Amino acid sequence: MVQSAKPVPPIWCPGCGDFGVLAAVKKAAANLKIPVHELVLVGGIGCSGSIHNFLEINGIHALHGRLLAQAVGVKLANPGLTVVAAGGDGDGYAIGMGHFMHAFKKNASFLYIVMNNETYGLTKGQPSPTSQIGFEGNVEPPFHAILSALSIPAPNFVARTFSGDPKAMTAILEEALRFNREGRGFAFVEDLSPCVTYNDTYKLWREKVLDVSKLPGYDPTDNKTMFRLCLETIEQGRIPIGVMHRPKEPARDGLEVKLVGDGPGPVRTDIRLEANLPAYKKLLAGLS
Amino acid sequence: MTMPAARTAPVPSESSTEAPSRPRELADLSVMIGGQGGDGTLTVSDLLGRYFRKRGLYVYTSRNVLSRIRGGHADASVRACRDPVAAVKSQVDVLVAFDNEAIELGKLELASHGFVIYDSTTFHSELPNSAGFPFATLVGGPLGQPIFKNTAAYGALSVLLGFDGKATREVIEERFKRRGPEALEKNLKALDIGRKAALEANGVANRYTVAEGDAHDLILTTGNQAVALGFVVGGGRFFAGYPITPATEILEYLQRYLPSFGGVVRQAEDELAAINMVIGAAYAGARVMTSTSGPGLSLMTEGIGHAGAAEIPIVVADCQRVGPSTGQPTRNEQSDLSHLANLGHGEFPRFILSPATPDDAFHLTVQALNLAEKWRLPVILLLDQALCQNTTTSVRFDLSGIEIDRGKRLTPEAAEKLVQYKGYEITEDGASAVAPPGTPGLWSEITGNEHDEWGHVSVNPLNRVRMMRKRMEKMVKAREDLPSARTFGPAKARIGFLGFGGTSGPIEEALRLLEARGTPARYLQARTLFPVPVHEIDPFLKSVDVAYVVEHNYTGQFARLIRETMPWHHAKLRSVLRFDGGTFRAPELVAAVKEAA
Repeated sequence: MVQSAKPVPPIWCPGCGDFGVLAAVKKAAANLKIPVHELVLVGGIGCSGSIHNFLEINGIHALHGRLLAQAVGVKLANPGLTVVAAGGDGDGYAIGMGHFMHAFKKNASFLYIVMNNETYGLTKGQPSPTSQIGFEGNVEPPFHAILSALSIPAPNFVARTFSGDPKAMTAILEEALRFNREGRGFAFVEDLSPCVTYNDTYKLWREKVLDVSKLPGYDPTDNKTMFRLCLETIEQGRIPIGVMHRPKEPARDGLEVKLVGDGPGPVRTDIRLEANLPAYKKLLAGLS
Repeated sequence: MTMPAARTAPVPSESSTEAPSRPRELADLSVMIGGQGGDGTLTVSDLLGRYFRKRGLYVYTSRNVLSRIRGGHADASVRACRDPVAAVKSQVDVLVAFDNEAIELGKLELASHGFVIYDSTTFHSELPNSAGFPFATLVGGPLGQPIFKNTAAYGALSVLLGFDGKATREVIEERFKRRGPEALEKNLKALDIGRKAALEANGVANRYTVAEGDAHDLILTTGNQAVALGFVVGGGRFFAGYPITPATEILEYLQRYLPSFGGVVRQAEDELAAINMVIGAAYAGARVMTSTSGPGLSLMTEGIGHAGAAEIPIVVADCQRVGPSTGQPTRNEQSDLSHLANLGHGEFPRFILSPATPDDAFHLTVQALNLAEKWRLPVILLLDQALCQNTTTSVRFDLSGIEIDRGKRLTPEAAEKLVQYKGYEITEDGASAVAPPGTPGLWSEITGNEHDEWGHVSVNPLNRVRMMRKRMEKMVKAREDLPSARTFGPAKARIGFLGFGGTSGPIEEALRLLEARGTPARYLQARTLFPVPVHEIDPFLKSVDVAYVVEHNYTGQFARLIRETMPWHHAKLRSVLRFDGGTFRAPELVAAVKEAA
């Protein structure tokens, strides 16, 4: 084994919800026996986005809000890699909102974990897109990423977890990664990850979370039903968690499957001149 | 490179006294076609270009269109010459007008011997030396649609210019056979209708003839197509872009070319996504490029800086248009240079390469890919609208000199033998050996945060200094690797021109005009603009008494870079600037020299 970058100790405050995600990612990857060299973690900007520094993994630290575009590039360039993008609610739903919505449409087979703490922790507690009205003077209603996710008619995997329940989180991340590795498309998991310093919601969230799979009529193959169930749960003052969308068909629908098929993908294609000469000559001969 | 051959036949001038009965032979002909967007002016221009190519002439076509799908004045011009040309001719010999506005605008550039053919369906022109034909009505009856009026106009032109009948017809067949038998048949009928009308008119047939040339086995292409082809041949296999004039064709060509080579092309949701998608793909180990123009470049600036800091090899083709803001999307300018030289917050290395012709663009695209991977930094391919979209005759792109240099990229076999793998290892030349993710036995941390050799975030001041030097000194250490300038004109000339990109065509033509007037001049075409090639420009400036820095912008951005890096040449530099959205004509540059003399 070649000596590679050693994980550094997390920069997070003791008790931060992000520790739960770190542990669950490690466990899920180990359970699936994914070789470290095939794992890529694209980190966003913010406390949560530094997660790749704390793992033995190929880590790339993206620009603020741009992690999804970079993750799409990584996955399309080498579909053989298992790609995880991870960041916070400010990164994903404020500066990165455009890329967020398009990630569902693009449907490349990678996992996006948003550690939602309803605040900008790293810059010391400003309101974020998911902050409740009244938090630090916030007057805007909170953004519900799962409702937006369910509004797009694409065969994505959508789920929400809570750092207070690491066992359930690990199971969901494992399912999401398996979904990705089968080339079935994009997986989005929002983790409710309290910021113990600026917005400690552990107690509140523990009381309010509601596993949607326990609701009557639960059908994760149907966006319409799940949108209604989640919206009703929110209106009742509860926080829906669990698997919100699990496409019925086990079709290989991922963007990289559609583009590359059984081919090796851009990175593993032979680009040497001699390997392509007849085809290049033919291409250039078409000019007049 | 030596200077191209001098003119072999004189340009017809106002003082020409040929008898009207004898066809006037043109060796350097300019035809302008104007009308409303959607009238098919570009089709006529394309047909003429194809015909002239068949006759062995060098061809340059340009267009002046509005940023709208239909309507508004649009014109195109075709120049055909026995000598190599890559510039618009200053006077129009023949004007084809589909409406009165096209006549009003076109006559300003019409030579005194010029002739006008116009569609008289809706108006009549009193202009002397003009002939009106109701093309829309003539084709509308037999063909059911007036849209074939443009092919009829091509037919009339073919008579006016004494075209060979067979070649005239072959051009229609080549152009329309892909559209199916019905489209071909209708266009052939429209051709005959146009020819018949012109043959029956007084004083139109064979009013001019066009000289034949010996420029055979050339291709007619654009800078954008050349960049797309260079990308494929240079091993580019991942491209993401967002549609923007005048860069869109690169995206479109690659959508056509790349999939059969195992490549991936994506249209992104915006330029922020496009640049970050290519960053992700480059990190994964693919050869990548994106293309854009001013407004998109502003958005991509964030990502380009990231690639510089994180040492990710990307190529960005900037197809310059008139700026700032939305500016004039379809018009020509070279005003992004200062921005690119200083691009981004903070400091990071970048190379800016500037091709002047499609052939140059093809080869510099390959070189840009090599340089990006070898030095692990962003490389900008700087183009301008004229080079991107105007068509020029070019030599066939030669594959024999093409090399794919992946720098210090580690193969899995080489990586296996390593004791340790540091993604940002300090090396002699500043470039670290890199193994893409997926290489067995190792992994890495890549980041735009300041980092140590392992890629760990670091605020250590000593490390910061070492890492800044590692990155910034690439611009010094890569000097030998960067594309060298080309010089034209006699070495002993005391008048110099400096320029880059699309101004090269007019400058080379101006050298020929100046030589013919006994005022020899030299031209240095810079192909690396940044880092400024002081080792090339300094001796060139030493060899001349005065140097005209020709560029399409208001502030003289290239001249400013030269002054900044070679202040001792300050007094020799004269800026020749044009920023009206058009391109230089050679006589303007000659006039600039004369005025200064």
